[in-house]
Order: sequence, then C-alpha cells, then structure tokens
Amino acid sequence: MLVDAAEIPLAQTEFFERKIRPILVENCFRCHDATEKEVKGGLSMHSPTSFRSGGDHGKVVIVPGEPEKSLLIEAVRYKNRDLQMPPKSPLSDSEIRDLERWVEMGAPDPRPELNHEALAPTGMDPVIGRDFWSFRPREAPEVPQGVNPVDHFIDDALEKNSLVGTDPASREIWLRRVTFNLTGLPSTPGELEAFLADESPEAKTKVIERLLALPDFGVRWGRHWLDVARYADSNGLDENLAFANAWKYRDYVIAAFNDDMPFDRFLVEQLAGDQIDNPTEESLIATGFLALGARVLAEPDREKLIMDVIDEQLDTTGKAFMGLTLGCARCHDHKFDPILHADYYSLAAIFKNSESFSETKTGAIKHWYEHDFSTEVEREKFKEIDAAISVAKKKASKLKSDIAVRLRGEARSKAVAYLEACFDFSADDSLRTVSKIAAKAGLHPRILYHSRRHLDNHVHSDVFGPWWEFYQSNNREGMAAFYEAKFSSAVLRFSEIQKEDPKAKVIPDETLEAFRAALFDASGFLAVPAKPEHAFSDIDLAEYYRLSDEARILESRSPDYPAAMGLTDREEIEDTLPIHIRGDHFSLGDAVPRAVPAVFGNDKLSFPDTSSGRLELAHWMAHPEHPLTARVIVNRLWRWHFGQGLVATTENFGVLGERPSHPELLDYLANWFVENGWSIKGLNRLILLSETYGRASAPLSSRDPEIDPENRLLSYFPVRRLEAEAIRDSILHVAGRLDPEMGGKTIPLRNRQMVFNHTSKDHTSYDSLRRTTFLPIVRNHVYDWLHLFDYPDPTMPTGNRPSTVIAPQALLLMNSTLMTDSAAAFASRVMKEEESLNGRIARAWKLAFGSTPTADEIAMSAEFLNEAPDSARQWSLFCQSLLASNQFVYLQ
Amino acid sequence: MVTILPEPSRLEPVCLSAVNTPLQRREFLGAAALGFGDVAFRSLLASDGAQRPQFPARAKRVIFLFMKGGPSHLDTFDPKPLLDRDHGKPPPFELPRVTFAKQGNLLKSPWQFRQYGESGLPVSDLFPNVAQCVDDLCILRGVHGTNPAHGGAMLKLHTGSDTFVRPSMGSWIVYGLGSENRNLPSFITICPTLAHGGVNNWGSAFLPQHCQGTPMGTASSSSRDAKVKHITPPGVIGADQRKQLDFIRRMNERSVTESPEVEAMNARLSSFELAYRMQTSMPEAQDLSGESEATQKLYGVDDPVTEDFGRQCLLARRFCERGVRFVQVTHSDSEVQWDQHSKLYQGHTKNAAEVDKPIAGLLKDLKSRGMLEDTLVVWGGEFGRTPTAQGGNGRDHNPHGFTIWMAGGGVKGGFAYGATDDYGYYAERDKMHVHDLHATILHLMGLDHEALTFRHAGRDFRLTDVHGTVARAILA
Repeated sequence: MLVDAAEIPLAQTEFFERKIRPILVENCFRCHDATEKEVKGGLSMHSPTSFRSGGDHGKVVIVPGEPEKSLLIEAVRYKNRDLQMPPKSPLSDSEIRDLERWVEMGAPDPRPELNHEALAPTGMDPVIGRDFWSFRPREAPEVPQGVNPVDHFIDDALEKNSLVGTDPASREIWLRRVTFNLTGLPSTPGELEAFLADESPEAKTKVIERLLALPDFGVRWGRHWLDVARYADSNGLDENLAFANAWKYRDYVIAAFNDDMPFDRFLVEQLAGDQIDNPTEESLIATGFLALGARVLAEPDREKLIMDVIDEQLDTTGKAFMGLTLGCARCHDHKFDPILHADYYSLAAIFKNSESFSETKTGAIKHWYEHDFSTEVEREKFKEIDAAISVAKKKASKLKSDIAVRLRGEARSKAVAYLEACFDFSADDSLRTVSKIAAKAGLHPRILYHSRRHLDNHVHSDVFGPWWEFYQSNNREGMAAFYEAKFSSAVLRFSEIQKEDPKAKVIPDETLEAFRAALFDASGFLAVPAKPEHAFSDIDLAEYYRLSDEARILESRSPDYPAAMGLTDREEIEDTLPIHIRGDHFSLGDAVPRAVPAVFGNDKLSFPDTSSGRLELAHWMAHPEHPLTARVIVNRLWRWHFGQGLVATTENFGVLGERPSHPELLDYLANWFVENGWSIKGLNRLILLSETYGRASAPLSSRDPEIDPENRLLSYFPVRRLEAEAIRDSILHVAGRLDPEMGGKTIPLRNRQMVFNHTSKDHTSYDSLRRTTFLPIVRNHVYDWLHLFDYPDPTMPTGNRPSTVIAPQALLLMNSTLMTDSAAAFASRVMKEEESLNGRIARAWKLAFGSTPTADEIAMSAEFLNEAPDSARQWSLFCQSLLASNQFVYLQ
Repeated sequence: MVTILPEPSRLEPVCLSAVNTPLQRREFLGAAALGFGDVAFRSLLASDGAQRPQFPARAKRVIFLFMKGGPSHLDTFDPKPLLDRDHGKPPPFELPRVTFAKQGNLLKSPWQFRQYGESGLPVSDLFPNVAQCVDDLCILRGVHGTNPAHGGAMLKLHTGSDTFVRPSMGSWIVYGLGSENRNLPSFITICPTLAHGGVNNWGSAFLPQHCQGTPMGTASSSSRDAKVKHITPPGVIGADQRKQLDFIRRMNERSVTESPEVEAMNARLSSFELAYRMQTSMPEAQDLSGESEATQKLYGVDDPVTEDFGRQCLLARRFCERGVRFVQVTHSDSEVQWDQHSKLYQGHTKNAAEVDKPIAGLLKDLKSRGMLEDTLVVWGGEFGRTPTAQGGNGRDHNPHGFTIWMAGGGVKGGFAYGATDDYGYYAERDKMHVHDLHATILHLMGLDHEALTFRHAGRDFRLTDVHGTVARAILA
C-alpha cells in the first residue's frame, strides 16, 4: 500500500499540504516529532513510515483507505476516553473530516523519509553492559602478607596522589568512635578508664569484641538495615493503617545482626523465607521485607494496585541488594543501564505469582497479606475480641444517630418557630447574632442559621415562596398560620395514608407532599449539622466522645492475631507476563517468561511450574559469584563506618551511580566477605582494626587542600554528625534515663487500625525512654525528633542518610521536653556524683564527650556556672549546652 | 526548612538542577548556611552550572486555598443547563472504567448561577462573596486528574505522583527559588490534614530538607491554637537562653576543626541564632491584634462560622508580607469536609458558608494592598464531583473533569478557560491535567518545569515527571 512520493497525484499532494500538514504542525508535532528530544508514546509523525507504523502501542496508526480501522481517526473523534488526541482539546469537525478523507484517499504523504536509526532512544545494550564495571566478575587483587588489606589499598591510593595519612587518633577519640559505630551509644567513663589502662597489643581487639557481643550492636546495625528495608509501623501513603506486626520483622533483623547470620541466608529469607525447605516462623517473618512498602491501599483499580506493589517490591529489591534501579524499566528500556523493558516484566512475572493482599478489607481499604500463626482456639478467642470492639464502635455510632434523630424531631416540632425567627435576621448575619435570636426563641442556633440560608436558596420554591411574600409584608402572624396549617395537614394526611397502606412513601397531592417532604428532609431547611461539635449539647458531646474514645482505646489495646506481614505464593503459577507498554496495564504487549535480566545471561536459570520463582531468584542473587550482591553490601558496611561508600551512591551501581573510589579494595572486601561466610561481624573486625579507621579526624596541615577536597581517599577520618537515633539515645544515656528494654511491639495500635483517618489526631506517643529504634515509625507523620535529624523517608531504601542543618533542629534542642528533662537529669546526676565545681565540670565532660576537659574548657564552664554555682537550674542550662554542642553531636 | 537570603535583591530565580548526588552533602550545608556568609554556596552554584530561567517571574508567592474532600464544580463555577433539563434521567454517556461507587441518575444543582462583574462569568449562590471578585478570577474548568480516591488524588495534586513519595509543589518552588526572608520558613502549611498522604503533601521527599513545608497545627486543631512545634521556650525567652546560646557558641567555635564539615558546623552556629529569632518572629506574624477591626471583619474573623478559615486566610496574607513563598491554607477539620457523597445540599451550604467570605476578604485585601499582582492565589480540591447522583442526594468523586481557579500573580482575570462536556463529567476542551496545572504554576513563578530537576537515585526528577504543558492562554 505504500506509495512513493513521486507517484502521488498532484491533487493529493496539494490536499496534504493545504489541509493535513497544517493540522499536524498545529496540533501534533509538539509531542510527535522525532526531531524533538522526546517523542510521546513513541509515535513520530514526522515521516510517512513512522507515522503509519505507530508507536509504543504496537498498533498501526493509519490503515490507508480505511478510516474506521485507523487509530488516528479513532483518536481524533474523541469517542474513546482512553485514546483522545490532541490531548487538550478536540480538533474542529472540519479538521476531523479532512483527516478522514485523507485516510480514505490512502493517506498520501509526500514528505521524505527520515533516517530513524540515529534517533532511536538508547539504553545500554545487555551484551555491552556485561563490560560495565559493576556487572563484570570481581577481580582477585592480592595483598602482601601481614598487612591489613584495607590499609594496603588505601595507602596505595594515597601514595599515588602524593598524600599521606594522618597520625592515629587519640585513644579517647578512637574509643568514642568505635563505640558509636558499633552500638550507637557513647562510651562510658568506666570503659574509657579501662581502655586507657590496657597497654596490651590486643586492647583494641578486646574493645571490638566486647562491643560486637553487646545486644546494642544489633540495635545499631539492624537499624542500618531497616533504613534499606524502608521499615515502618504504618502504611502511610493514602490510608494510614497500622502495621502492628511489623515489629516482628524489625526484631528479626536485629537478631540476625546480633547472631551474625550469614548475609546470603539473610537475603534468601527476606525474599523467599516462605519457599525455603522447612520454613520457620522467623523465615516467614523475614518476608516482611517485601510487604513493608507503602501502598495506595484505597486504589479502586485493583490491577493497577497489584502492578504498583510489584513495582515497589522490584525497585526495593533491586536497590537494596544489587544497587540496581529496576523501577526505571517499568515503562521503557532503562535509559542508562543495561536493563530492558522486557527484563522488568520477566522479573515482575516472578512477583506476580505471589500474593501481597489478604481477602479482608476495611471499607475501600485493602489489607496486605499476613502469615497466620494462630491456632483454632486462638481464632475463636479473637472472634470474641473482634465482636467486642465492633459492639463498642456501634455503641458510639448509635448514640450519635440517636441524638441526631432526637434533634431532628425537636426541630420539626418547632418548624414554624424557626420560620418566624428567620424574620429577625438576614443570611449575611453572623452566627453570633443568630445565636442570640435562637436563644430567645429556644431554637438551635446552627439549625436556625442554616434555615435562613435555605430560605435564600429557595426564593421561588412552592414551599418557601410564600414565606418570602409574608416576609416582605412583615406578616408574621399570617406566615405562622399558613405554615402551621400546611405542615399539620401534611402530617395528618400522611398518617391517614399510611394507615391505609403502611408501605406508602408519599402523599399523592403534590403540593401537600412538597410541604411534608420539606419538613422531613434531613438535609433540608431543618437540617441538623453533620458535625457533632456543631449539633450536640456539651453533655451529649462529652458522652459521644467518651464512647468513641472507649471504642478506640479498646481496639488499640486488644491483642493482635498471631501473624506476620509477608508474601506467599499463589496457587496458580504463570510462567509469563505481558510487557506493559509505557507501564500501562491497559496496553499489553508480548508476554515474556520469568527470567533474570539479560545482562546477567538469563539462559542459566530455570523456574519451576509449581512455585513463584522467588526462591530461585533469591538463590541466584545470593550466589557467591553474583557480580553485584557482595559488592553492594560490603559497600554499605563501608558507608556506615566512614560516612561515604567506596561507591558513593549506595543504591545505584549503574551508569548514573558513582564509580568506586577504590575498585580493588571493593573487590577484595567482597571476596573476603564471601570467603568468610558472608559474616558481617567478621568484616567489621577487618575494617575496624585498620590504621585507616584509626586515623585522626583533622587533615594534615601540610596537605594540599586542592587534592582530594572531599577526602574520598581517606587521608584522615571523616568527621560526621550523629544520626537522629544516636543523638536521642546518647542524650538519654548521658542523663541516665535510657531504658534498655529490647524488642516487642511498640506502636500503640491494633493491627490494621487507622493511625488517624480524617480526624488528623495522632494518638501515638513518643514518651518512651527506650532506644529510638524501638519507637514507632508512623509514615506520613514521623516523630519530629527523627524527621528533623534526617531520618530517611521510610518509603524508599536508604543507605546514605543525608546530614542537614536546619533551624528546627535547634528549636528541638532548645525547647523540647525530652531535651530539658534530660538536661535536668544529667545535671542532677553530675551534682550528685561530684562535690566540687571543677570535679562536676570534668564529670559532665567525660560523660558527654568521653574526654577530659582542658584548663580553658574548665575556665569557660566555670565562668558560665559561677553566676549561680549551686543552682540546679544553672547546671541544667550548662548540661543542656553540652548536649546541644557540636562536640556532642559530631563524631570525630 | 529554613533558608535565608540576606537581601531581597538576590531574588533572581535559579534552578539548582546540577547540584545533586555527588555534592549532595555540600549542597545541604550550603543551603542551610545561606545568609551567613554563604560564599561557598554561591560559588557552588556558579561552578555547577546553575541555570537561569528564560522568562521573568509573574508571581513571587503562592497562596493555595485547598478544599479538602473535593468541592463540586457543577455547583460552584461550572454551570450545566443540560443537567437541569435532564435531571433524574440516566446519564446519556459512558461512565469511566473505574468509579469509586455505584453511579445513579443525573442530579441537577440545588443552586442557582448568576452572572457577575464585567466579565459576566457565572458563579453559583454558594459563593456570593467570591462572586464579587469574579473579574479577578481565572476559572479553569477543564482540569482533570487521574485518581478517584482521596489519598491518591491529594498526593497527585500536591506532589504530582499518586504512586510514590515525591517532593510537594511548595517544596519544588522553595528549592527553585530559595527564601525571601530571614526569620521565617519559606513554605508554611496552616492546619493541614494528616490524612490522605499527610506529611507527604508538604514534604520535600528527596529534596533538601529546608524545602519542606512547616506545618502549623493540624486540621484537628483550631487555627487559633496552631503553632509550629517547639517554638515556645520552656521558660520566658530571656537572659538565660541568650547566655546559654552564647555559651554554646563559644563551645562550638572551639570545636570547629579544619575539615569539610566546617561549613556544617558553622551553619549550626547560625541555626541556633535563627531558631532564637523564630521564637519571636513566628508569634509576631501570628498575632492578629494589630489588624484593624475592619480587616478582621473583612475576613470574617468576627463570625464563629468563618472565624477559623478567616484567620487562616489572614495569616496567609501576613506570612506573604513577611516573605514566605508558599502558604497553604486547608479547609478541613475532623470531617472529610467537601466530600458530599450524600446530603450535597446541606454539606456544601455549610462548607461554602465557612470559606466564601474569608476567600473574598483575602482577594480584596491583597488587591487593596497591591499584593495581588505578584501573589498567585489558587483555589481547589483534589477532584470535583459527578453529575450523577450517589444515594439520591449526593455526588461521588470525579477526577475526570473539575474546576480550579487562580487569581492574581500573572493570570488573566474574569477569564474562564477550558470546559467539561455538556453534563460536566469529563474535561473536554482546553484540558489541564494536574501536571499542566503544576507546569503553569511553576511557569508563573519563573521556573521552567522541565528544567527544575533534582538528581536522585540515579535519575533527574521533576514535579511534572515527563508530562506537563504550560497553559499559555491564561497568562495575563
């Protein structure tokens, strides 16, 4: 059907030039011109062939001679809501007719063909991608005997850049540093004394072993992983339901770090703990990793919801374990990395075989899937608890509707009085004015206020038109008599009719019926305000609040079903999933089979017909030779110690990520890690015992500041601010207030209870003095202490927390109760533990900073304190200053 | 949250698109340190290819009057005679594939529309006061969104995404333009609702933290009690706290070492001073006692019905006068306010009575002070409502076509743009998707929505994702 431009009759060429090209130029080329940087929908209308053959839809846009079969015509006719072009406004009828005629003619297009090869969008070809650094197999760099490998590679790079490392940090600083890094808490004066007194060569090793063995290690390092796992105790996003079982996953993670669970097993359990041989309660809990994401639970389009959840799971899995931004390939080939659009749907096919939702719902809000650990007996018991909650809720709602019915009845009995009172003010008058009038007449102020507005809205109605006539002639008595008569005869007539026919709903006489309807219309002129606060008396309102609170508290305090968030396989297993063109679940393309991305050589792996394939995927990811997995976790570990990864972009090892500063070191550590049983504690030992880790935190003064300004080569230890948790925990610790209790449920809500719905009242309390890791994480309303000190958004994996400085942090440190109470406790502790002014200053210094104050520092402090040396308040101000100072919140 | 520029003369809008991942840390610090010898930050901008927009800003600030729940366009600013005619009949058009609830027959508006002003634009009897300002309104009748549920639609309207957590519109504007004042946050949201996206609706997501909105109170508190958290010192601000801050300063000056963190530490010194000043500047901005009785009356602060929203509107003007860039005022409380699935008549009557006078007061007040020219006022909800009835006397959610209006700040007044179909279900002519709305608002602020990007997790993000067209026809 294609016609060469030279063969197009002149008349048709003219028609195209006169009618069609102007339409295209005016309406289409802005988005569909291949010479522009972006072509919408993949459709370029700039040359004959590309125009006809279509875009991402994969459907032919023009069938020459057949307008009814041409998508172009369907789109411009604007009848199909999913396919309307131009998108903003339809073409004129004559333009549409011209296009129809043109297609009928055979769509003659005299324009030259363009060379499209050069314009095709480019990602990275999977075969080429295999040579990209992070996809290449790891190298096996060698290290001379007896040298710490960390120091070997770091010193080598320093030397090549004509830099030298600084001297070791003081022992005080090293101890504070390592204690914070491993436990998130400051070292105590006792620990400092013991370490300073230990002159043996193993002194540092002993400290490290002591710290690694503390449960606080898991609290600190588990918390690091929880950042990556975007952990939270509520859904957030659209509807905020409590994840009251999420804490089990949190505690699982903490235990895994304390038990030094091999990381490959940790990975497999989180992705497929339900699919491994002999799954345990713990391994089922581990799959919470895939269930913790924030979801649009009220999304009415279920298929969209399912694909959105899979996207979240894929993106999180990719970023957390492989440093891959898989989510970028949902709509098209990854623009930069060797991940194809088809690769995405091959992976999605695996997750599509798993169930993320339960069958239960709260109204329009879908529930996530949970592994059920309950026994038959427990289920019976829970049915009773559920019933009791339901009874309590109904009690509150029944009271509310009973009061409303009563108020409605009262208003109806005074209907004429309301109409009469409306003579005394206008719709513009303030509620204050109306209230005075209502009080005099014994009416409800808000109902009266509304009645007057209702009259204004119904000047010409059959029922209220007469009121206006009486009003204009100021005939109160006439009005009252008129409505009294109308209303009572309507009521009387209706009761008679109902006697004859109890099912009757209306009075046949339309006029009379209109009066009856007006009188009984719950949202009409006697409408009772919908808000209890506007409608109820103080006594009724208090009772309603009491019952509502009772129901809420009963629900909050009721035990949860023994269950854990997670994933399970569906019964029906599908091997393929269609590619969703532009990520749209209504535009399905070719089906692709389950597979790992082609860049990895996806022919190696086969997936069973009987299960989702998550287990196979997990085993493949945890394979010792996987190019990314070990590199990514080792890099995370490095980041958590040095504040910057060897690859600075911890979640992105792709083209747009950073290149490793020390590629050989990264590979060496990854190899070492895999060879040593994927042991997190082992790798910690290796790094912490290095000289690199032990360096002082100020650069050498002789150093050229132009070389390595960002200190990526680590010639000195980078100073950094403590994280939100470490700041809060340290303040409590120093003040002697920290509650050491570990684990357990911490969100004060029942599972799937609303954190707050439209009330915006958050009943979560953060008064607990436990470690911050055990405070509830409420998405959409994160505790401000965390939020302000750069706690990451708990909806996306974060390995690299930022560190900002903003004034509200200062407000928190100056004015929050947590801070002032802790400062007071810190002060009273210091005053109790030491007698003399200088002794107390030194004690405070040691507790807060892990060091001894210099003479200057003592003098400066004494000067501040001497205004009122025995005043608890002065000491409290002093102690608060220490806790707010840079020295306290920065780690050297 | 709080960024400060020393002089207003530095207000040329800049786009920070290139300041990202590798320098993220530095950028954060720099941003926080602005106003305190911020040479480092300025040079950072220069060296990292900061762009300038190709067009001047029409508006310097935005007041977003958000009507939570979804007010009906059909009963306010988009009259449909055919709806009156065909009242009670089944809809003669196809319903969307996904609707929130079951749809009934066509439901006419309980309110009359009248023409107002020189433009003669129609406004319903719900908004008699706003109607007096109709010649300042640019009524966008062809707005449409994607999500039919409150949460999704609110997130879409505030952040451009109903799927992921993304920076909010106000955050992008603060990110692009920086601050205009020394003592207050740049983005304030008054009594926001915590439901349906909550903090995400004013959050900065991956943008620097100083870009996020500062909430004052929540929808559950009265605007009279709305305060920024921790703004009140435990005792009276006085000699004690001053001395304490001086002592902290002395301590901090000692501990500053020669390291890249020195900038952060310096910024931290300043952050305490700013916090100290905020303790007085915030209550000062919130204190309405200096406003004349006439002004308070204009906003309806004297009437219990309009008091709460009136105070919010008046606060918005006061914040704008003090250089706050983006103020959101939310009409919401312990109910889903404008969400009349039933009793449309009663609910909308009450809601409109609460906001009509305050909004008109705000527009008139801004105008008389010469502020309307460079203040963009935006009014709207997360979606509109259906022309079909729900349960007899209510209307369901409708994201397919609804009305948002703007005023001031470089838009045409007395102008209606776009249209829904004859029954008002679908946007049909000069359609503006929420992305187009965002693109247009950014444009009015002097920002190119395609150039205002931030590199995060390996790619450049925009408020408008890969969408958005500026509605040039509405520019004055």
